[in-house]
Amino acid sequence: MRHYETTYILRPNLGEDQFTEVIDRTNAIVTNDGGAIICLDRLGIKRLAYEINKETQGCYVYLNYAAPGKTVNEIERIFRIDDRVLRYLTVKLGDDMNAEAIELEKQRIADKAAASAAALAADVEGDEFDGEPLEDETIED
Amino acid sequence: MAQPKKVFSRRRVCRFCTDKDAIIDYKDAKTLRNFVTERGKIIPRRIYGTCAKHQRQLTEAVKRARQLALLPYMGSTQF
Repeated sequence: MRHYETTYILRPNLGEDQFTEVIDRTNAIVTNDGGAIICLDRLGIKRLAYEINKETQGCYVYLNYAAPGKTVNEIERIFRIDDRVLRYLTVKLGDDMNAEAIELEKQRIADKAAASAAALAADVEGDEFDGEPLEDETIED
Repeated sequence: MAQPKKVFSRRRVCRFCTDKDAIIDYKDAKTLRNFVTERGKIIPRRIYGTCAKHQRQLTEAVKRARQLALLPYMGSTQF
């Protein structure tokens, strides 16, 4: 088992049902080959930097998984056939992936998400906190 | 006997070496945008002083981002 991440872009005008269908089918390929999905993230509809197949927007989906190499071949074969997928990119992150490593990776992603959420919350709080001392200073002056 | 031109240059340090938290990720287009010109070219490391290791990672990341249409191959994103 190897550790891969795949980002693919779907046509934006498909509708929620079709998005879910494509995503589910991709996930099914991974799990059917004995792989494990570590993280699935819908990055949502974004503007493309250049037109792809006459589309200026695309729905980005990020999939982080552990699977044997032939899974990637299969996924990419399907993507090439499927008209709804505008673009895909698979990157190998690591060679050996066992159950422990998968758990570790899941943990790492959860930690990262928690950290970024905390940072965001701290940012908001910090802004509020910053505001008050500034006002005090002006009063003192 | 032309004297060698003295070019004033401050020793720049790689910003990824100084800031350990900053990771190079091809999905993070906002950060990568700082390392390409307005026309979309990768800025050479002699300008920013990025170390060789990080410049390599940066180049790879920019090229991946281009494949995913997060960064333009050429020109600004406005078309």
